Amino acid sequence: MSNTFLSFENEPGRLIVNVMGQWVFDEVLALEHATATVNPESGQSVTFQCAGLEEIDIAGAWVLYDRTEQLAVDGIKSEFTGFKAAHFKFLQNIIDAAAIRDYEEPPEHPVRPQRVRKAVENLGSNSSVVIEDLGEIARSVLEGMRSPSLYMVGETIKQVYQTGVQAIPVVMVITFLIGIVTVHQAASQLEKFGATVLVVDLVSISITREMGVLLAAIMVAGRSGSAFAAALGVMKLNEEVDAMRVLGLNPNQMLVIPRILGLVIALPILTIFADIAGIAGGALIAIGSMGISGLQFLERVAYSTDLTNFYIGLIKAPVFALLIAAVGTLRGMQVKSSAEELGLKTTMAVVQSIFMIIVADALFATLFTRMGI
Amino acid sequence: MEPVISIKNLVNRFGSQIVHDGLCLDIRRDEILGLVGGSGSGKSVLMRSILGLQKPTSGSITVLGQQIEYHKPGPSRCWGVLFQGGALLSGLTVQQNVELPIALYSDMPLETRHELASLKLLMTGLSLSVADKYPSELSGGMRKRVSLARALALEPKILFLDEPTAGLDPIAATEFDELIRYLHDNLDLTIMMITHDVDSLFGICDRIAVLVDGGVVVGTQDEVLDSDHPWIKSYFGVPRAQRARRAMRRPANEQ
Repeated sequence: MSNTFLSFENEPGRLIVNVMGQWVFDEVLALEHATATVNPESGQSVTFQCAGLEEIDIAGAWVLYDRTEQLAVDGIKSEFTGFKAAHFKFLQNIIDAAAIRDYEEPPEHPVRPQRVRKAVENLGSNSSVVIEDLGEIARSVLEGMRSPSLYMVGETIKQVYQTGVQAIPVVMVITFLIGIVTVHQAASQLEKFGATVLVVDLVSISITREMGVLLAAIMVAGRSGSAFAAALGVMKLNEEVDAMRVLGLNPNQMLVIPRILGLVIALPILTIFADIAGIAGGALIAIGSMGISGLQFLERVAYSTDLTNFYIGLIKAPVFALLIAAVGTLRGMQVKSSAEELGLKTTMAVVQSIFMIIVADALFATLFTRMGI
Repeated sequence: MEPVISIKNLVNRFGSQIVHDGLCLDIRRDEILGLVGGSGSGKSVLMRSILGLQKPTSGSITVLGQQIEYHKPGPSRCWGVLFQGGALLSGLTVQQNVELPIALYSDMPLETRHELASLKLLMTGLSLSVADKYPSELSGGMRKRVSLARALALEPKILFLDEPTAGLDPIAATEFDELIRYLHDNLDLTIMMITHDVDSLFGICDRIAVLVDGGVVVGTQDEVLDSDHPWIKSYFGVPRAQRARRAMRRPANEQ
């Protein structure tokens, strides 16, 4: 009975165990198997001979100590001879072994009723927090309007640039492509009725009323909603927001309002660019491959799409902007403790703002249809 | 004896600013080396260079005989690092933070892993009641202890400490110093620590390395104190350093 780490000598009344080799962290698994073979007969005590020990660290010492503790439970005494490292005494000094063994494996699945209860509780507390935060933001807006500071104006202009002007190229490219797609899809259907020219009506109405503003808003939600949440979240983690409050500044006014205002200004501008690009995309295909002349195209656009369509698209933009900016900044301000939370809140900001944009769009569509425009 | 860490002709330059200019430093086995220097003298840069987190302009660094290369895995099994803010992973509990390196580098069963992690927490003077808390729920001092426990998780041979007592109250700082000394005496550790705490500098460091003029002045406490360099003279000449030194001398003379 022997292995790399232990060899045994049986004497009447005691078992001598020679401890040898490398009792280190990397070998813990093998060491545990080895120590499990120390099984003295009843009435025997165990003596660990440690003179052959090459190296031992805390992990190795722990395995040995752990075994002697287990033996002690069975009423078997163990002693050590020739121990050169101070580790063992060190262990004894610090271990409250009972406390360490107090380990229970966590249940794999939390009990279901608790989960549901927690979810309901969270929903309740979250919505009250959201209402409170929204109220605070609204109050700050009113205060800010009563006494606008130069800083806020500057910051708002910066936000218009970052969220609006810088987004123009990507928004235009996307709506341009969607214009192309719309014309292609519609043409193959309308051709059957010999009404190919109606693709112009279709693309110009759908882009101005719906697609332009919707695509711009979704793009901005992904681009700026996430940026708002992440930027404010990091500022919260760095205690910058606290520092502002201590300085007597209102972080809502300094950080939130400029972002909301900036986006409310920027998104309608983006929408105009999106409309132009979308119709241009449609025109490219209609004129280029469907035999509709440029003049004909313009004529159909002018005939089918009056300014009402354009305004309907445009009026949705500030509402969408408000939703994106409010959700993004609110989620950012809710970050409290950890980097993980930051990621979570940023994700929530994007997902929720896109969700709310589409819900709002559906409401608008119903409203405008009822109104007959 | 072969030095544990050997730095040869290290040069670190940022634009026109030269931080290290041919710096040479050997860190010996089982010593506690205190690293001091003025702001911008490159203490953190030096530590980051040793850890492979910073690409030096030129020069070579070997740790335990292994050449350090930028962003290549170094002897990570053999060193532990206590970052200034603790750098605990905020999404994991205290217990998980300490277990993580053990889980990464070994195949031991869950229970042993848990016991070893608990052991490390106890070693750093924490009670196991903190084990299930998240780092954000801990005080600064406790966070440092958890971070130390994580640094010790893999039985390192070298420990790097970046301002271990910064931000701690004097009682906690003294306790932390004692803890470092205690671990050093019991675990065959080589410790390199950046510190501005003159109490811990005189209290627990075997040698002191002062970064000045892009190079380093290194020696025992007395040797460094006898240095003629003006910055070193003024650093150790300030009243608080003098007091700390006197406080350390007294018990030594009484013995």
